[in-house]
Amino acid sequence: MSAAAGVRGAHPLVVSAGVAVGCVAAIAGLAALPGGATLAQQVVSGLMLGGIYVAVAVAFTLTIGVLNFLNFTIPTMFMLTGMVAWGLARHGLPFTEAWHWALALPPGIVVAILASLVVERFTFRYLKTRHGDATEHAIPLVSSLGFLLIFEHLVLIVLGSDAQSFPVRFRLDWQVGPLVVGLPQLASLLLSLAIVFWLSWLLARTRTGRALRSIAESPDTATLLGVEVTRIVPVVFLLSGLLCGVAGALFVVNYSDVSPFMGDHVGTKAIAAMVLGGLGSIWGAIAGGLLVGLLETLGIHFFGGDAAQVVVWTVLLLAIVLRPQGLFGGSRIGKGKL
Amino acid sequence: MPDEALLTVAGIGKAFGGLRVVDDVSFTVPRGGRLGLIGPNGAGKTTVFNLISGVYPLDAGTITLDGKAIGTLPPRDRVLAGMARSFQNIRLMPHLSAVENVMLGQQARASGLGALLTPIGWMPRGRWRRDAEALLAEAGLDIDPGDVVSSLPYGIRKKIEVVRALASRPKLLLLDEPAAGLNPAETAELARFLRKIAEGGTALLVVEHDMGFVDEVCDRVVVLNFGKRIYEGSMAGARADALVREAYLGADAA
Repeated sequence: MSAAAGVRGAHPLVVSAGVAVGCVAAIAGLAALPGGATLAQQVVSGLMLGGIYVAVAVAFTLTIGVLNFLNFTIPTMFMLTGMVAWGLARHGLPFTEAWHWALALPPGIVVAILASLVVERFTFRYLKTRHGDATEHAIPLVSSLGFLLIFEHLVLIVLGSDAQSFPVRFRLDWQVGPLVVGLPQLASLLLSLAIVFWLSWLLARTRTGRALRSIAESPDTATLLGVEVTRIVPVVFLLSGLLCGVAGALFVVNYSDVSPFMGDHVGTKAIAAMVLGGLGSIWGAIAGGLLVGLLETLGIHFFGGDAAQVVVWTVLLLAIVLRPQGLFGGSRIGKGKL
Repeated sequence: MPDEALLTVAGIGKAFGGLRVVDDVSFTVPRGGRLGLIGPNGAGKTTVFNLISGVYPLDAGTITLDGKAIGTLPPRDRVLAGMARSFQNIRLMPHLSAVENVMLGQQARASGLGALLTPIGWMPRGRWRRDAEALLAEAGLDIDPGDVVSSLPYGIRKKIEVVRALASRPKLLLLDEPAAGLNPAETAELARFLRKIAEGGTALLVVEHDMGFVDEVCDRVVVLNFGKRIYEGSMAGARADALVREAYLGADAA
């Protein structure tokens, strides 16, 4: 308790730097052990995969923390980025040559953001203006499920239901002793962490962040104070669209496979990561995302692909049963959230 | 007359499920005036506040602030028109710091898309933050502005809420039972602070049960009973008025 309180009292950046140094040291130590190199390699891959979960988990955390809204369209934003980029690369546009397909990713991210704003306009805002404080009810949740299916099937109709591969694989490996670190993977981990850090800075230090936190605490009082609630709420959707889009792009760069259903797997893992870290805590989402990524690759390493899912979810359920508030539940700012 | 009245409330009414909570109430607050809104429990005082600040829509009547009809505007536009309020039960954001709460009061002032996307100066040196800290200091609050509000004592939180309302630089400040729960020393200090605000030209509309406090802060009172205005005039006159005495003490005592 006191140790946890001490950690929580320190600046998050200091804590994060400490954790990062600890991770690198642990991986190096593991790799130095006889036969430990393969395991260390799995840890590295797990952290890279975790970086993608982090971004998506933070997107969930944002809408839950500020709007008390579990936005089921979040996995769709992730999928849209991948599929739109693939569609652009495949059809009509000159993205098929080596490297050039990477140019298809930014438009994919833009589409994800736009889709997220469409969801805000036609589920969240519409329901709220028509029916009062709809955040209290399951209605936005159900309507977001509707949008999830609509977007998924629109993509299915336009681009087909098959899993697709990007023509060119981005390969640039960095040999560190016995370990192979994919540079794109490393870059993606750093990028998603950078975005999350930027976001937590935005929440803690800016006018928009203050407005977001006041809406998280009490939308009614914020409205009466003159906080521009109707203009701030779309910012949440814009940011979650951006996070999912970037995560989707990183997924493409790392794994080069896309399908209309690619969001489902990442979405469930991200929700698990968010709950594991502590509902509504951004730092919890980071820790949870990285842990789930680690669990998954280590599970595959020790138990094989199918059994790994059973292992991952068993561990998660145990963690939730033993610590329902999550690792970082009851954070410093926001409504005990954010 | 045209330039005299800052707030004009004309014939406003509100019913909740057949019960007329506010019934044809009219009064004005002159520029820089200090009006007390008093009456027994359930007289409709807080409902009048909620109608003026836009919590509920009006059933009847009009509200004009500084020459602008605000009766149908959303709450934010009423803040922009020049009003700010405090609440009967403190409604600060408990997990934000004292200075951040005050900065929420500033939020309405700098608006527009540019202000929305650009951070207004990051801590600790931003102009807005310095303004907010200065307001806290002027209010005589001897606290660390970075203290999280939920950790502060009741009397201080009560005052921070007044400071937050002031941060929007209102022409009219609506205070809903500002002295409730304060000890006599805190109440006297609050009265001094409010008189200072009024001397600065900000008009006050105060709902309060502590009649001594109302007498000290306000220059005129409106008395409500069962949603209707039963008296308007001086506090001394209200004390002598038969209807008011009856409303407070019951028919027998009057």
